[in-house]
Amino acid sequence: MRGLSLKPLSRFWPERSGPPAKREGSESLFRGLGKTLAAQAFGLGPSSPVKDARGRIGARSLLGAFALLALSGCEAGDDKTHIYLQRFFGECGAEFGASTDVAKSEGECGIMTSLINRFNAENPDVRVDVNVVAWPGYPQLTAQMAARDPPDLVTMHQGVISDYAAKGLLEAVEPYLAQAGIRPDSFTEASRLGVTMGGRIYGLPWDTHGGLFHINTALFAQARLMRGGKPVLPNSAEELIAQARQFQARTGKPYLIQSNVADPAYAARNQYTYMMALGAPLFPDARHIRLNTPEGRRVAAFFRRINEERLGTQNMDTPAAIAAFVSGEGGIYPTGTWMIGSFEKEAKTPGRPLYQSYAVFPYPRLWGQRVEFVGGHAWVVPARERSAKQREAISRFFRFMAAHNFDWARTGHIPAFKAVLEDPRFKALPHRADIALLGEIGRPLPSHVRRQAAIEGLVGEDMAAAYTGQKPVDQALADAERRVNELLNELD
Amino acid sequence: MERGRLTPFGWAALIIGALIMVAPLMWTLLLSLKDNAELVGNSGAALHGPYTAENYAAILGNSSTMRWLLNSAIVALGTTAGELVLASLAGYGFARLEFPFRRTLFVIVLLGLAVPSQAVILPQHQLFAWLHLHNSYPGLILPGLIAPFGVFFMTTYMRGIPKELDEAAMLDGASRWMIFWKVILPLTVPAQSTLAVFTFLGSWNDYWWPLISATHSDMYTLTVGLAAAQMNYAQTSGLGFLMAQAIFASIPIFIVYIVFQKQIVSAMAGTAVR
Repeated sequence: MRGLSLKPLSRFWPERSGPPAKREGSESLFRGLGKTLAAQAFGLGPSSPVKDARGRIGARSLLGAFALLALSGCEAGDDKTHIYLQRFFGECGAEFGASTDVAKSEGECGIMTSLINRFNAENPDVRVDVNVVAWPGYPQLTAQMAARDPPDLVTMHQGVISDYAAKGLLEAVEPYLAQAGIRPDSFTEASRLGVTMGGRIYGLPWDTHGGLFHINTALFAQARLMRGGKPVLPNSAEELIAQARQFQARTGKPYLIQSNVADPAYAARNQYTYMMALGAPLFPDARHIRLNTPEGRRVAAFFRRINEERLGTQNMDTPAAIAAFVSGEGGIYPTGTWMIGSFEKEAKTPGRPLYQSYAVFPYPRLWGQRVEFVGGHAWVVPARERSAKQREAISRFFRFMAAHNFDWARTGHIPAFKAVLEDPRFKALPHRADIALLGEIGRPLPSHVRRQAAIEGLVGEDMAAAYTGQKPVDQALADAERRVNELLNELD
Repeated sequence: MERGRLTPFGWAALIIGALIMVAPLMWTLLLSLKDNAELVGNSGAALHGPYTAENYAAILGNSSTMRWLLNSAIVALGTTAGELVLASLAGYGFARLEFPFRRTLFVIVLLGLAVPSQAVILPQHQLFAWLHLHNSYPGLILPGLIAPFGVFFMTTYMRGIPKELDEAAMLDGASRWMIFWKVILPLTVPAQSTLAVFTFLGSWNDYWWPLISATHSDMYTLTVGLAAAQMNYAQTSGLGFLMAQAIFASIPIFIVYIVFQKQIVSAMAGTAVR
């Protein structure tokens, strides 16, 4: 075994000054088990008396198989600087495990995997060890932090940063950005707001994602709602109702495809976006939300009216709504940037209902300002002890990822850097010129408000109840406000 | 039950019941054999060809899958073996030995049945962090050994074994350990089998503890690993892959069921306990 280490021990990096005792502990336990397995399997040590010879052979075969499988995970130690990266976006090693050709990779998982492979290939003195976690990965991250063993780099939703940063669990990343030569003013406004808390920057913004109107242009043409090859979108709430009625009359199909079941993000996105547009201060301070206002009632009553007039689909969850849209069962599906790739694929497949009939735009302005609620992904650095080499490697990783932000934008997400928004390559991607505006009009929730993911769930539940008529609008707004305020007031 | 005694109505009810039970499994299997893109628009496409094994190829193509399978096997077998040893010893103690506070201790053990594991997850996680046991096999196995049900089960079973057997062995000069090992333990094989099956199934399917204890991918169990391999919105854009994962993860359980079918049916019917 000299010169080799079992895989679980491969994170026992020499540069680490974090919690080596823990790793040594795990190592000895695991090594002990491995030795026992191997010794018993190959008869190298004392074994317990077994009367039945066949049983002994069977037991040894089984243990031998286990030991061989365990040993198959052996890998050589190295002198590289290891940084430990934890991400979601799934595992696609079978397809992209060896790929360093980012341009040929597809989808969030494929592009992410190829990017990290490419970084490792271009930086032979550094090794990024990747841990893929089940989405969104926060239970594991929190557990790792509680065990004082967090990773070096983590993908994090910008709305979650405040939860960890407020407790000192994330490092402010200005030193890494400075070392990497990345200026914060190169971020888009939405991205900059998304990673900034209390004047400090807590992550390298990676993208902006938000709601979009995904449109079936064939049905829009049938409804005579196309002008100059582009769909006609409303400029006011009343115009939306009028167009929806026209659409329904001419196509016999609902104007909106809605996922109001088991998808609180859908209703929360609508409510946040249009309350922001109306200039309503959603969070007057870090402990309170304000939903039960004239603006809140106006937005909720509008979406209630859409359902009362049957201008949108009813009783659909996310999979049903997606299936309905790709099957041509409605005009507009308001969902996120992340679906562009899937819908574009449908639009390029002959014979499919969406074939050459797909367009996508940010939410239209129905009232007030042209702003939209958005979120985003970021690379954050959990607080822990690190060597200078590891810090330098993290900076290098930031520089690499910032330089490849365009590649990530191919997933459908809006780039986090102004320069990429202006990049001709980005504008040449399908629909990107139409949705790039999101980088400018996008507004995250205020960074001083914690528990934004949980709040979105609470608001979305009650707003969906209001939109679908399960609760009176006033009661739903009051309930959501009360529940969120209770949550915020419980925080330490 | 004799076949001849079942009425046509009974047969019909049995067949309908069986179909209801099998239908979701067949649906899962059919979905797992379909191209993901085809299922995005219409999951009903699972009812007709063409079928493909690409979702299974993707699972096996992941270099970590066999590692996770090994981890699950080690954890499930380790937990099962450990629980059988501890539950048998504790059961024998409670059933046969006289010692101070025996009844009180037994009540305390039984109270453990009323405490959900979620209620102790925070201190348990802290304890394992303090002991540096996260991301290790002992860290995954040890919590599974806290098994009040197993102790209760073995105690109850051993109490049903006539004490005359112990007394006869004592007259022959057997020690307490010899009585346990040579006389009582062989008689508890049906109960051991039942407990082993339930423990193995529970450990194999466990998700919550491995999720927060095994935070490094090479220590994931199969349940956690397969969940991590899913992309977001897998239920829409990767439905076939999702179903293939479900089938793949259940194959070892299916094998266990085939091998221990008699014991499982016996346990379900309550005949393993005297």
